[in-house]
Amino acid sequence: MSVAGEAREVVAPEPSEPGSGGHAPGAVRALRRLVVNPLIVKDGLSRMRSWRAPAVIAVYLVMLGLFAWLAFSVQLGDGGVQRFYGFARVGSTVFTALAVVQLALVCLFTPGVAAGAISGERERQTLDVLLVSCVPSFSIVWGKLVASVAFIVLLILAALPLFAAVFLLGGIDASQFVVAQLVTMTTALTTGAVSLFLSALFRRTLAATVVAYGITFAATAGTWIVGTILTTAAAAQLRTGPPPAHPMLWFNPIHAILTALQGGSGSVPGLGRVTTVYYLATGQTGPNAPAIEPWHLTVLAQLVVVALGVIGTVWLLRERRGIFRGSASS
Amino acid sequence: MIAVEGLRKRYGRRVALDQVDFAVPQGEIFGFLGPNGAGKTTTIRILATLTPPDSGTATIGGVRIDREPFAVRRLIGYMPDFFGVYDRLTVVEYLDFYASCYDVPARRRRRVASELLELVDLSARAGDQVDTLSRGMKQRLCLARALIHNPQVLLLDEPASGLDPRARMEMQELIRELRRMGKTILVSSHIVPEVEELCTWIGVIDGGKIVEIGPKADVLRRAAVGRRLRIELVDADEAATARARALIAAWPGVLGVEDGASGLEAAVDAGLPAHRLLRELIQAGFDVGAFTPVELDLSDVFLRLTEQPEEARQ
Repeated sequence: MSVAGEAREVVAPEPSEPGSGGHAPGAVRALRRLVVNPLIVKDGLSRMRSWRAPAVIAVYLVMLGLFAWLAFSVQLGDGGVQRFYGFARVGSTVFTALAVVQLALVCLFTPGVAAGAISGERERQTLDVLLVSCVPSFSIVWGKLVASVAFIVLLILAALPLFAAVFLLGGIDASQFVVAQLVTMTTALTTGAVSLFLSALFRRTLAATVVAYGITFAATAGTWIVGTILTTAAAAQLRTGPPPAHPMLWFNPIHAILTALQGGSGSVPGLGRVTTVYYLATGQTGPNAPAIEPWHLTVLAQLVVVALGVIGTVWLLRERRGIFRGSASS
Repeated sequence: MIAVEGLRKRYGRRVALDQVDFAVPQGEIFGFLGPNGAGKTTTIRILATLTPPDSGTATIGGVRIDREPFAVRRLIGYMPDFFGVYDRLTVVEYLDFYASCYDVPARRRRRVASELLELVDLSARAGDQVDTLSRGMKQRLCLARALIHNPQVLLLDEPASGLDPRARMEMQELIRELRRMGKTILVSSHIVPEVEELCTWIGVIDGGKIVEIGPKADVLRRAAVGRRLRIELVDADEAATARARALIAAWPGVLGVEDGASGLEAAVDAGLPAHRLLRELIQAGFDVGAFTPVELDLSDVFLRLTEQPEEARQ
């Protein structure tokens, strides 16, 4: 053992200099923690060194690429002469299909990444040591959320060349391209926040993951299928043109992407230029009404869910941390 | 440095801590001794701000844990009884991560990590992944992690559990060195010899209650009230031994007599005039080969203090 006398000067951190994050004012330190968060660095390093990270990226791109190839084959294959409406139509259809498949893959991968973020620390017996550190509960939650979603964002970015290639065919404008990616990212963020909350709520990662998949499926595919059926049923009854989308679809990301990319075609029930709620409140509708598109509502609702998920997870961590009633904030 | 008053903690119907009071002076190694389930870990978790007590107060360095938990966290280094490490991080990255968790300035982190690794004799493994270390190395790394922000107080919950004898001795030497560096150290353990070798103060907890506390020498001296005498008779057959046992047992102040490893052992009151008993035995014709007090060690004290039946501890 080299526990000699020269080691006695060890471990004496100097008072922090301004901007170091050490003893900076609380607000500055809190802002720094949003960006320079030790958990983001640690989880990022740890995740990217695993064989799983490149494997997941490869599987994701292969699945997306295969689906794109399949979509092109269907559009341009046998009988394509009869069904060929021009590159723009092909581009629009393939892009929409790819965007929905990407959304499905994101919903598939995100709970797997985020639902073990906190329960994994507990199972690894590292959570207590983390909670005894000086990192505030919010920073722990924020770091875990960003680290989880960053990997999903990496998947989305890795698939951008594929989308760009389809985009070159036309049929989709830049704003639609951006909206599709934005809704996909906010869906990843929402799924991540909900999964993180479940990760703090359940002691075991398996339970958190199963429940996270259940909720994700119900909130995306479930509400979309039921909402579309109800909207179609309403359309059959009315027989006077497409009815407003069923409320179940208002906050649905699949519906948001479909209406953003294909809304003008009439094939997808949309909210039109104004939501029912807005119409009921103001009576304003028609071409002069504000353009509130389904993706606006979806993104707004998702951000609310993210905020609630983060607040809930912070609350659970504070409980776990044994924060005493009336004690300083953490 | 550590002061605990009237701590109570209940898990459902089970009382984990019942009016626990103790204080640890600065610079001491406080051995927190007790059987499994006695309340050691609960007390340490309360001091580490991980578990709120139902009632009572605790301060570390004069800072109340319930009012300023973050200030307390800067004062303490905590090493839990069971802990894990992160996969796919090197030893240096592991320490660097915790240094950033404690706001150690970025430009100093590598140097602090390097010095700590030297202290715990892990410099040669600095670039290795943490999960490839042996258990003893992980224990030492965890101790280095607990020191990363230079805390004044160390809370070590069973720091040597599961270690082989060499690793245990290395850990003990390390803890002594930390005391020489001025740290106040609370070490919980149910291994009596370990506490006896290492600690300067001792607290014995049983059934959620502190049953003995103080400097080690005082604890041993107080526990010696009601001492034992070892009496060896030369060339005594069974009948002679039986007569001697009866004579000793009838002597005022003798609480009991039993066969020891090398003669008779008598439990006696502290005030018993032992020389008169010796004279009586000799006058009765016994050839007394040895008549000596039995030295109490901490194991005897521990057994004596925690010998109440299991149901009484519930």
